[in-house]
Amino acid sequence: MRAYTQVTRREVLQRSALGFGALALTGMLAGEAAASDPASPRRPHFRARARRVIFLFMKGGPSHVDTFEHKPLLQRDHGKPLPFAKPKVTFAQTGNLLASPWKFREHGQCGHRVSELFPHVARHVDELCFLHSMHGTNPAHGGALLKLHTGSDNFVRPSMGAWVAYGLGSENSGLPAFLTICPTLAHGGVLNWGAAFLPPHYAGTPMGNASIAAREAQVRHIKSANWTPEQQRLQLDLLEQMNRGHMAAGPADPVAAGALESRIASFELAYRMQSSMPELQDLSGETEATRQLYGMDNPVTENFGRQCLMARRFAERGVRFVQVTHSDNKVQWDQHGDLRKGHTEKAAEVDKPIAGLLTDLKARGLLEDTLVIWSGEFGRTPTVQGTTDGRDHNPWGFTAWLAGGGVKPGFRYGATDDYGFYAERERLHVHDFHATILHLLGIDHERLTFRHSGRNFRLTDVSGYVAKAILA
Amino acid sequence: MNRAIQTARLLLGSALLAGCAAPSPLPAPVGKSHWAFQPVQPTRPPQVRDAAWLRNPVDAFILARLEQHQLPPAARADKGTLLRRVTMDLTGLPPTPAELDAFLADASPDAYDKVVDRLLSSPRYGERWGRYWLDVARYSDTKGYVYAREERFWVHAHTYRDWVIRALNEDLPYDQFLLLQLAADQAAPQDLKAQAAMGFLTLGRRFLGVTHDIIDDRIDTVTRGMLGLTVSCARCHDHKYDPIPTQDYYSLYGIFHNSVEHLISLDPAPAKTEIYAAFEKEYQTKWKAFAAAQSLRREESAARARSRAGEYMAAQLNLSQFPEEGFDQILTTKDLIPAFVRRWRDFLAGRAREHDPVFGLWHHLRTVSPADIERATAAYWSESSRAAKRTNARIRAAFATAPRSMAEAAQRYGAVFVEVDAQWKAALSASRPQGAASLAALADFDAEEIRRILYAPDSPCVVPATGMANNEQFFETDVIEALWKLQGEADRVLLRAAGAPPHALVLRDGPPEPLPRVLIRGKASTLGDEVNRQFLSALAGPNPKPFLQGSGRLELARAIAHADNPLTARVAVNRIWRHHFGAGLVRTPSDLGTRAEPPSHPELLDWLAGWFVTQGWSQKKLHRLIVLSAAYQQSGMEHAKARAVDPENRLLSHFPRQRLDYEALRDSILFTSGELDLQMGGRPVTLHTEPFTARRAVYGLVDRQFVPELLRVFDFANPDMHCPQRSSTMVPQQSLFLLNSPFVAARARALAAKVARENPDGGASSRAARVRSLYRALYLREPTASQLAAGVEFLAVQEPGPAAPARVVPVEWQYGYGEYNATSQRVVQFKPLPHFTGDAWQGSGTYPDAKYGWLKLTADAGHPGNDRAHAVVRRWVAPVDAAVSIAGVVAHSAAPGDGIRAFIVSSRHGVLLTRSLHNSQAAADLARVEVTRGDTLDFVVDIGGTLSHDDFQWAPKIQTLPTAPARLWDALADFGGPPTQPLQMLNPLEAYVHVLLLSNEFAFVE
Repeated sequence: MRAYTQVTRREVLQRSALGFGALALTGMLAGEAAASDPASPRRPHFRARARRVIFLFMKGGPSHVDTFEHKPLLQRDHGKPLPFAKPKVTFAQTGNLLASPWKFREHGQCGHRVSELFPHVARHVDELCFLHSMHGTNPAHGGALLKLHTGSDNFVRPSMGAWVAYGLGSENSGLPAFLTICPTLAHGGVLNWGAAFLPPHYAGTPMGNASIAAREAQVRHIKSANWTPEQQRLQLDLLEQMNRGHMAAGPADPVAAGALESRIASFELAYRMQSSMPELQDLSGETEATRQLYGMDNPVTENFGRQCLMARRFAERGVRFVQVTHSDNKVQWDQHGDLRKGHTEKAAEVDKPIAGLLTDLKARGLLEDTLVIWSGEFGRTPTVQGTTDGRDHNPWGFTAWLAGGGVKPGFRYGATDDYGFYAERERLHVHDFHATILHLLGIDHERLTFRHSGRNFRLTDVSGYVAKAILA
Repeated sequence: MNRAIQTARLLLGSALLAGCAAPSPLPAPVGKSHWAFQPVQPTRPPQVRDAAWLRNPVDAFILARLEQHQLPPAARADKGTLLRRVTMDLTGLPPTPAELDAFLADASPDAYDKVVDRLLSSPRYGERWGRYWLDVARYSDTKGYVYAREERFWVHAHTYRDWVIRALNEDLPYDQFLLLQLAADQAAPQDLKAQAAMGFLTLGRRFLGVTHDIIDDRIDTVTRGMLGLTVSCARCHDHKYDPIPTQDYYSLYGIFHNSVEHLISLDPAPAKTEIYAAFEKEYQTKWKAFAAAQSLRREESAARARSRAGEYMAAQLNLSQFPEEGFDQILTTKDLIPAFVRRWRDFLAGRAREHDPVFGLWHHLRTVSPADIERATAAYWSESSRAAKRTNARIRAAFATAPRSMAEAAQRYGAVFVEVDAQWKAALSASRPQGAASLAALADFDAEEIRRILYAPDSPCVVPATGMANNEQFFETDVIEALWKLQGEADRVLLRAAGAPPHALVLRDGPPEPLPRVLIRGKASTLGDEVNRQFLSALAGPNPKPFLQGSGRLELARAIAHADNPLTARVAVNRIWRHHFGAGLVRTPSDLGTRAEPPSHPELLDWLAGWFVTQGWSQKKLHRLIVLSAAYQQSGMEHAKARAVDPENRLLSHFPRQRLDYEALRDSILFTSGELDLQMGGRPVTLHTEPFTARRAVYGLVDRQFVPELLRVFDFANPDMHCPQRSSTMVPQQSLFLLNSPFVAARARALAAKVARENPDGGASSRAARVRSLYRALYLREPTASQLAAGVEFLAVQEPGPAAPARVVPVEWQYGYGEYNATSQRVVQFKPLPHFTGDAWQGSGTYPDAKYGWLKLTADAGHPGNDRAHAVVRRWVAPVDAAVSIAGVVAHSAAPGDGIRAFIVSSRHGVLLTRSLHNSQAAADLARVEVTRGDTLDFVVDIGGTLSHDDFQWAPKIQTLPTAPARLWDALADFGGPPTQPLQMLNPLEAYVHVLLLSNEFAFVE
């Protein structure tokens, strides 16, 4: 059992070696408890293009060749064999090429083709930066989810959001730095938002989970069943009075007193969160126009729309990393069969809310320094699974897109081969994707390290390059 | 290069680099001269000026350093502080007011010594300090992510936990403690109970069955946990800082690779009770089903491998095409199994001697260029060659003409194997009618030589006879899944049956294996040099001796638990010191390597390590020594000079304040409220769901895959890997839990009730008495005048507000499961479904749930559980005496599968209605049913015969018949979640107790 300040002292020493937080260090040695708050904001390595992230995670693996990467040869060669070898290790067997059942049409100034599955998002193509050459390692959901979220498909490593919280701290002392709205408990579950060996403070705070309707999603213990806020205020006043007395009577050295001080502060923060969280989740103050913008007036889009709208509200209040997961207790976007029906339904659930989020962020001036990320854990094969209407997992090439936060708008980076199987041009491994995201946040992925088990760990392990071409 | 290979390479390339991040450029390694690798130095307590302060030799080391810095030690802590400190420290629980009174009243000079002895002999000691070791051992009751393939709960974890607690309570010497955890199978084969110790190795994360990662976890836990060395860094490259070459890692790797898991019962002669007999019957049935299936599959897989032996040889020409072991491969009977490819690789490497009668030619041809194969074959057979004479006749015949390529050579070998296999099978069936004892060999020498390659125990075609954990990679994917399912069913009997005896998952040495080889950059596909199984070179001296007994695990255990090992005792005393003082003499308890900061008191560390060994590795003696020292008994008040000279208190000029960890805080709250349940041992209990258990936290379920958020926010050790020391953070979620959880509120109520009982009346006169009583119970002291006044004022002024109206939820409906018993015509074993999603009642947030399967009920539909014992039950409890009618339609609408069965069952009258449905629907109406208050009507659905497409719709309505006041219960309209608790305001006393439980004075030890 050690006082928190000891931990942070080492962390800060570590960080100051990286150019972080020299001021915090002096503060801490002088025993200023406030400086020991691990959530306090920190300066990035270099100029940040984005200050926060909203990560829209499409669980199950949306098909890139049916959504955002148009493949004319796939349409032409429907029913023919893939003219080159499939990977040795696949999740399941697939057959010949399967043309996309959806039409693609050019949109916006940039003329990028988007399928009719995403009519609303398509109107935003001039703000989107498509990464068509994403590739990962693992063709199973669990491994791929972990890879995308933590950079490792089998080891327990900190989540991307935890790394960002560790690197940049929080901009709002009343809220956690990393919130994840309705995350899935399957396929790695909590490891996908965990802190692993980073101090647990940086772990994502889950609100509800994927099996719970967004309107029911809450941070644990945020409400009391036993008393009113007024009664609690009386309690906290007495508690503080007692704690102050206790502190005054005991040792006053910085380590010993700092630990007491930060525990006193954490009760106050908890008290504030009790009102700030429900207030942020209470969407009744939003105008009808805003609710419609996010599709909250339609049962199909209500749930994801609510998640997106909450994400905007959290981002607005300075939560550093908000993840929104599109998933219920059935695996989404995972159409080994029933592709037409499944993808039509899934896309309908998210299309309007995502477009609404982009519109809203832009209108509020938030898009400039908010990085919106859209991705699944992998894409789907251009070859058919089953007979006519399914696609298998495809980690060898898929599409993610970014918006806002310093990325080139209306831009396309990389490409898969003519049929969409393998990332081919400007290949972007998940590590590269992470390196690029950190870069946009002003963090050098090679310098954001944490010493554990005798060595320095990174989100990007020993690889990763920054896709500089996408920087605005 | 074709694209597939390219892709496979890319995939493989990144797979194992994970976890081997190379740190930035480094200074030259200090190497073996590093202090921690030197023998423990015999040191003598130094001379000090203020000898009167010393209570034992420990103090001389502490005081000498303080005197060097002209820092006086702090005064002795007062008795109350000291009693709370040492009691919390040794038992994880606070003392009682009665214990305080006794201690205060005891004026004898050894009053404190007596307290220490009492605490060390309390079973609470093992529970407290055992938990520290469980952090070291990355204890979990579950396996981590297992891909819904195998049972995710370990059947043996709690027996390991209980062994640890018992070992500490019995003060098992630490060297034995380590030895048994690494090699009880060989160090104490007769001691059945001690076998549980090997859970240390076997209860790690399963890493989806990937052997390399399981072994890595074991190496990491052993070396960081017992030796304070980060050996797993050397998996991919030589350690960047410490003298740990990659070869060392693979020396240990070979030891664990040659160790095979076995599940054993720890009760050799269980009492033949009825309950045991029931267990035994069920378990044997399930176990035999698994064993028979596995045996059959092993034979099938081996037969296929024999028939394709030529292809496996051809595969050697193109090894990179065969992926490393990984859970993500989908293999069918069409595929060559990569595990067999690797077995052939190792087998051929073992037969690479010159003139091997069967494979000599193969190895010879592999050394020449493709163009030279024909010429080389001829040369091999040339008159002068001794090879020709030695070579197996079948091979000689097959290669009478030269092959044109290695692929063709592989084919010809394959043909020989198939031919001999056929010959053997013919011989077997020919021998059978004669009733002869089974044939042991072929008569023909050459044929027999070939047969052995296919059938001998070390044949590359044979699937090892082990449990699934060690041989699953030799099966096709669907077979693996089917076998794990059967194994899981047997596991679940062990996990759940009331009469199941404790089991241990032990390691035993496997059959002899070739020497391990370095995997270059940690990749299983790139083999480096052979290494011996032996101890770490930095610790084994200049000429390390290879381990020669079996896997070498016992020799490894002895080398670790050896008095001359420079690290083991240092690491142990440093860990123990750290828990007493909040920080170790070396502040990185699991890394004493060259990157660790030097010890604050190097001579003390060595003195303690030496003393510990000479005292028979007794941990209790070490605790006693430390807590009886003057250093430990100091007050927490720092000297004014200390802040400038030693701001971090590394010199221990005063006692460091420490915050209670999660277990100590939770257990102390339960203890002071008088509710703590001191039952020891057994299966884990769920800590965080209502109704809350009052067991100690150490017996709580640790599920590494779903570590409850509460444990994470309270800095619980991450059970996925060895945890050197927990963080000690302060996050608002901790405060939210303390402020708002029903758990803490209930404890406040319990303690308030106790205090109210002891100080009845409640009027003004008793308020001061209550405040005093609470201060004694929680803080072991009297309140100050102002504290007393504040407390009395709080009790007097604070009144509960009006209770908010509760949401009205019809309580008549219950949502659960059970079994429909046709004989008794009743639902037996009805239990409620535990989780409400907002739309459905089911097993948990995950659907289907590992334990509850597909059980689910929504407002108007549902799904039965996985077998007939898990029918889904919508239960209605009659709130009044009445006659009711029932209306509804049951529907099953899926063509596949075999449908469902539906029943309406009355607790009074038995079954009232039965329907079997398959892609059909039927009315489920009853005109009149008499019920008495408390009777139940169950709307039961179970599977038709097999679990497949069993969704159904059914929303019954129950209406009182006109004779009674009309009431309607509509399953659809009434459906809802757990009844919302009405706001239950704390009364002033409860609210006050709650504040006291939240205070820093309670949460810290001074």
